Amino acid sequence: MASPLATDTRPTTLRAIVVPVGVWLSAFGAMSALDGRLDLSNLAMVLVLASALASLWWPPWASLPSSALAVLAFNWLYVPPRGTLHVELGQHAVLLAAMLLVNWIIGGLMLRLRTRAEQARRHLHDAEQLQTLGEALRDATDPVAHAGTLHAALAELVEGPVALLVLQQEVPETNDPHATVCIGETDDDAMAGLWHCLRQGRAMGPGTTRHDELDAWYLPLRGRKAAFGAAVLHLPHPGRDDPALRAHAQALCDQMGLALQRRQAADAERQTRDQAHLHAVRNAMLAAISHDYRTPLATILGAASSLHDQDERLSDAQRRKLAGTIVDETRQLARLTDNTLQLARLDAPGVALSMDWESAEEIVGTVLRRTRRRLAAAAEANGTAAPPLDPSHRLRARLEPDLPLLHCDALLLTQMLDNLVDNALKYAPAETPVEILVRRERDQVLLAVRDRGPGVPPAWRDRVFEVFQRGAERQPDPQQRAGAGVGLAVCRAIARAHGGELRLRPRGHGGCAFECRLPVESPPPMEPPR
Amino acid sequence: MSLRVLLVEDDRELRGTLREALEVEGYEVLTAASLCEGLALIAHATRPTGEAHEGPPVDLVILDLGLPDGDGETLLATLRRRHALPVLVISARLGDGQKIRLLDAGADDYLVKPFSVGELLARMRVALRHRGTRVTPSVTQYVSGPLAVDLSAHRVSLDGSACHLTPTEFKLLARLVRSAGQVVTHRQLLADVWGPECTEHTHYLRLYMGQLRAKLERDPAEPQRLLTEPGVGYRLIEGDDG
Repeated sequence: MASPLATDTRPTTLRAIVVPVGVWLSAFGAMSALDGRLDLSNLAMVLVLASALASLWWPPWASLPSSALAVLAFNWLYVPPRGTLHVELGQHAVLLAAMLLVNWIIGGLMLRLRTRAEQARRHLHDAEQLQTLGEALRDATDPVAHAGTLHAALAELVEGPVALLVLQQEVPETNDPHATVCIGETDDDAMAGLWHCLRQGRAMGPGTTRHDELDAWYLPLRGRKAAFGAAVLHLPHPGRDDPALRAHAQALCDQMGLALQRRQAADAERQTRDQAHLHAVRNAMLAAISHDYRTPLATILGAASSLHDQDERLSDAQRRKLAGTIVDETRQLARLTDNTLQLARLDAPGVALSMDWESAEEIVGTVLRRTRRRLAAAAEANGTAAPPLDPSHRLRARLEPDLPLLHCDALLLTQMLDNLVDNALKYAPAETPVEILVRRERDQVLLAVRDRGPGVPPAWRDRVFEVFQRGAERQPDPQQRAGAGVGLAVCRAIARAHGGELRLRPRGHGGCAFECRLPVESPPPMEPPR
Repeated sequence: MSLRVLLVEDDRELRGTLREALEVEGYEVLTAASLCEGLALIAHATRPTGEAHEGPPVDLVILDLGLPDGDGETLLATLRRRHALPVLVISARLGDGQKIRLLDAGADDYLVKPFSVGELLARMRVALRHRGTRVTPSVTQYVSGPLAVDLSAHRVSLDGSACHLTPTEFKLLARLVRSAGQVVTHRQLLADVWGPECTEHTHYLRLYMGQLRAKLERDPAEPQRLLTEPGVGYRLIEGDDG
C-alpha cells in the first residue's frame, strides 16, 4: 500500500471516504466475530487500532466526529447493557472516555503530520519550479524569450488564467504596447492594471492591502529598484487570499524581474564599453591622421615660406623645385583626405556603393595612367635627378585575358589599387619593380599589387591594415615616409565592402603582395546589340 | 579680343588665385561670390562698347557648387535654359552620382577640388572649342598620334593603315570623337549608340570599349586615348589639332 502521506490531493477525495469507512466496517466485523471470545477491553483495542488506521485517510473535518461516532456505536453494541447508550459508571466510562481521547489524539497527530507532509511537498514543488525557471533565466541572453516558461509556471500554480506583461527596454512614457511583450489573454481592464502594477512596482489584489477587492493578483516582476513587467493571476476562488501561494508566485515573478534587470545592466555595460572602445579608436585614428597630415604640411610650409621669404636670393631652379614640392605634397594631402573621408564613409552602417558591371582592365588602366602622371610630375618637380629605373618602367600590369566583369564600385576599386600601388612604390626601393596582377581563381578574381621591397615583419602583417599602425614608425630610416596608416585601412574596408578580402602575403624571393580577392558574379545576359 | 570668363566661387582665396592664373593666360575674368551675383552678372554684364558681339555676355562659366545662397546646380539650370554657354563645374564634394547628374544636365566638364591650374586650363580649352567659340564646323575629322578618324567617310586608320570596325564599334568611337576631350557619361553613350532603352546596360559598353581598345590602342591594358573615368564614363583625349 502506497503511503497515504505522499499521495496526490485529488484522488484522495474519494479514497479519504471509502478507505476509512472500509476500515471501520472491517473493524466492527472483526469485533462482532471476536465478541464473546475476548473481553470488552480487548475489543476496545481493536477499535483504537481501527481509529488510528482510519485517521490516516480521513479528511480533517471527518476524523474527530467519526471516532466519536465509532465510540458511540461501540457503546451501543458491546458495552453492557447492550443496545443502549447507557454506561455503567466506573470501569466502562473510563474505558470509553480513554478510547475517545486516544482516538482524538491519534487523529490530531495524524492530521498534523499530513498537513506537514503536504506543506513539504508543496515547498519542494515550489523550490523545483523556482530552480527550473532560475536555470532557464541564468543562461538566457534574452530573458524575454523565457516569459513563456514563467507564464506556464504561474498558470500551473493558480490553476486559472494568467497574463504577463514584460518590458523589452526602458519603461516607456506612455503605455505603449510596442515596448513590451504580452503573453496570455488580457482585456483592457487587466492591461491597465498590469501597467499600473508595473509603474508602481507593488502587488495588488486580495491580501496585498492594495485593492483587496480585486478578483486577481497583480504581481510586479521586480528588479532591485524598479519593476520590469507585471503578471495578472486570476484566482480560482476569487477574493480569497493564500499568502503562501502569493509569496511563491511573487518569487517566480521576481526571478524574471531580476533576470531582466541583469540583462539591462549587461546591455548598459556593453554600451559603455563599446562607446569607450569607439572613443579610444577615434582618438587613436585622429592622432594617426593628424600625424599623417603633419608631414606633408610641414614640407609645404617649408617650401612655401622659403619661396615667400627668400624670394630674390633663390635661383630659378631652386624656385621651380620648391614649387614642385608644394604641388607634390599637396597631392599627397589630397589623397590622404580622400582616404580618410572614404574610410569614414565605409565605416558608416548601411553604406550604399554605386555598383555596376566594370572591367578589371579599365580599372587597372586608370590606375596605371594616374600613377604614371603622378610619377612624371614628381620627377619633373625633383628636377634633373632621374631615378635609376624610369618610374614608368617600374610599374607593370599583367592581366589574364578574358577576365569576367566585376560587379563593383569602380571608383572605390580604383582608389584601392591606386593606394596599394602608391604604397608599394613608396616603401620598396626605387629601382625595384611593382606589378599589378589580375587573374581569375575559380569563383574569385584576384587583384594583387606585388613589390620587391623590404617586406613586412610577420607581427605586422595584419596590423598594417589598422588605421593607427604604421610600419614606418618602427623603421629608423628617415627616408621612409609614414602615411600608410589610413591608406591600407581604407583598402581593406573597400575590399570588404565588396564582399571580398585584402590580405598581405610575403613573396618567395622578398617583397610582399597585397592580394584582394573578390567574388565573381554572373553578369547579365548580353543581348545582340542593334 | 580676349575671351571672357565668369568665375562663380565663394572662397576668396581660391577666387583670387584662379582669377590671377586665368588673367595670366589672357582671359578676361568676371568674378562672383554668390549665386545671386552670378545670375546678375550673366543678366546685366555687357560687352565693352565698340565690340560687335552677339549672344551671351561671357564665353565660359566656371561654377562652384557649394555657394552661400544656394546650390550652383540652380545656376547651371538657368544658364542651360538661356544660353549655349560652356559651363565647367568645380566642387569639393562630387560623388559619382552627382558628376553624372551634372554632365547629363548639360555641364561641359567637372573638376574636383583640389585641382591644378593646368588641369583647369586644359578643360577650359576643350569646353570652349566644343561650344564653337572658335567657329569651327562640326567635328568630322579627328587625329591623335597614329589614330585618324574621318566620320563623314566612315574611315578609321591606325599608323596609316585602315582599321576595320564593326558598325557598333564605329558608332561608339564616333560618339566619343564628337565630344573629344570631354567626358561622355555611360548613359549618354548607351543612349546614343544602343538606344534610350539600353541606358542601364553598362556591360555592353565594357565589352565594346574592350574591343575598340584592342583594335586602336598599342597596349589595351594601358590605354593612351580611350580613357576611363571610373564610375562616370569615357573620355577620348583631345585631338592633335586642339
